[in-house]
Amino acid sequence: MKISKISRVFALAAALVLVASGCSSMGVEPWERDILAKDEMQLLSDPLEASIDDHIYFSKEASSGGRGFGGGGCGCN
Amino acid sequence: MSRKNSKSVTATLTTATCALLGTTATTPVNAQEEDTWEFDTALLYYAEDNDRVQDISFKMLAYRNFVDDRVLSMSLGVDSLTGATPIGAITFDGPQTFTSPSGGQVRTVPANEIPLDGSFLDTRVALAANWQQPLGRLSAFNAGVSASKEYDYLHLGANFKLSRDFNNRNTTASLGLAFSSDELDPVGGAPMPLTPMLDVDDLSNRMGDQSKDIIDIVLGVSQIINRNLVVQLNYSYSSSDGYLNDPYKIVSLVDPVTGDPVPRIPTPGVEGPSHEYIFEGRPGERTKHSVYGQAKYYMNGKVLDASYRFMTDDWGIDSHTVDLRYRWPFGGQSYLEPHFRYYTQAHADFYRTSLDSSQALPLHASADYRLGEFDAFTVGLKYGRKLDSGNEWSARVELYSADGSMPADLLIGNQGGREIYPDTDAIIAQFSYSFGW
Repeated sequence: MKISKISRVFALAAALVLVASGCSSMGVEPWERDILAKDEMQLLSDPLEASIDDHIYFSKEASSGGRGFGGGGCGCN
Repeated sequence: MSRKNSKSVTATLTTATCALLGTTATTPVNAQEEDTWEFDTALLYYAEDNDRVQDISFKMLAYRNFVDDRVLSMSLGVDSLTGATPIGAITFDGPQTFTSPSGGQVRTVPANEIPLDGSFLDTRVALAANWQQPLGRLSAFNAGVSASKEYDYLHLGANFKLSRDFNNRNTTASLGLAFSSDELDPVGGAPMPLTPMLDVDDLSNRMGDQSKDIIDIVLGVSQIINRNLVVQLNYSYSSSDGYLNDPYKIVSLVDPVTGDPVPRIPTPGVEGPSHEYIFEGRPGERTKHSVYGQAKYYMNGKVLDASYRFMTDDWGIDSHTVDLRYRWPFGGQSYLEPHFRYYTQAHADFYRTSLDSSQALPLHASADYRLGEFDAFTVGLKYGRKLDSGNEWSARVELYSADGSMPADLLIGNQGGREIYPDTDAIIAQFSYSFGW
């Protein structure tokens, strides 16, 4: 792995930490989660459809993953 | 999925009650009184035009929800694939003959047609299981295994994920690791990269089984912004090592002036390729980095789901993906969900439409259209309906269209103006049913 790649990884990790720490002032109280608790508001609201789409695009394109793990599992690519 | 919903609402109410009474729940809230099962099932039809790939598949995801918030999930997928796929050889205004992947026969592609492999028939079976377990009040642990089998491919994988809530459960950070060990056993044996396609029954450049190992790391943060908005940011690292070629893909050797494939004469008395072709050769390693962002926004009953992914790798491929879904409920129990997706990628450094026969072979070369430069659009519509029982069905139809563009510096001789990149148009149709007890 080149140094530039390592520094890029660290920069991204630092960005994630910053985002997480900056988020402490956001959010809702426990009794304000009625909407967020709905099925359709889950980040992954339809896991089966998501896995089907991931598989289709993994077979047709050079990118995979991002939302979750992207590696392996099929001879189609 | 109604049970998940009621579970979350119950948990919220319990927590809210505790907060109002000035007490704290010392143990994880048991939101349900008995273990439950949930099933998501789907039938999928995927078909590309021009007799290319067709897939009919059945997928199932089963959840066993235990009263103490542990969840066992298991998935099964069975794909039945037929059709043909471009092999990488360039289109030419004369017929072209190729040795089949098994090396046992030849097949001829008519003039001016994009060369496809012989129609294949394959069945893929995929299984996975995952265990989710709370660790104390704020953390959770996931561990899973996966396996899939095609007649020439075996995948075995394991994955782990640790997540922890912060900021009054408004922030969740997670770390995931996945390992994949895949084995390829191509028909006729895996060809040695960048060696010629040979006459029938000459398997001298074929090797035994090949393998590749893949490591994935995903770092993620999700954040509740307000009562209507939740966002997620992931960074993913993926490293592949081993035989990363598609064993059935080839590259044409062409004349530097005409751009046409170089003719070849098979050994007398033996059938063989009509022109010079070599098997593709990709690097034996690949490292990918992705950043993925997603937002879900609730707007008076409607839900906008927007995501963006940037990927870059050391093969020279950069890609951008934008995905938008808009869930629009009506009539109390139904919804419509339009879907739009845009994808664009740059070609791999070693992507070639063909190779100049007057030059020495490069270190790596592939004419696989999936490593080329293209844009793709998906447009779709889903209709879903929740039944009185709490079960739900949905149906969706989507169109996928990928159009390649060919940088002039990749064309050789008079190849300009010819149909070189095999565009893809496909239809995706799916029927889903979710139920529980």
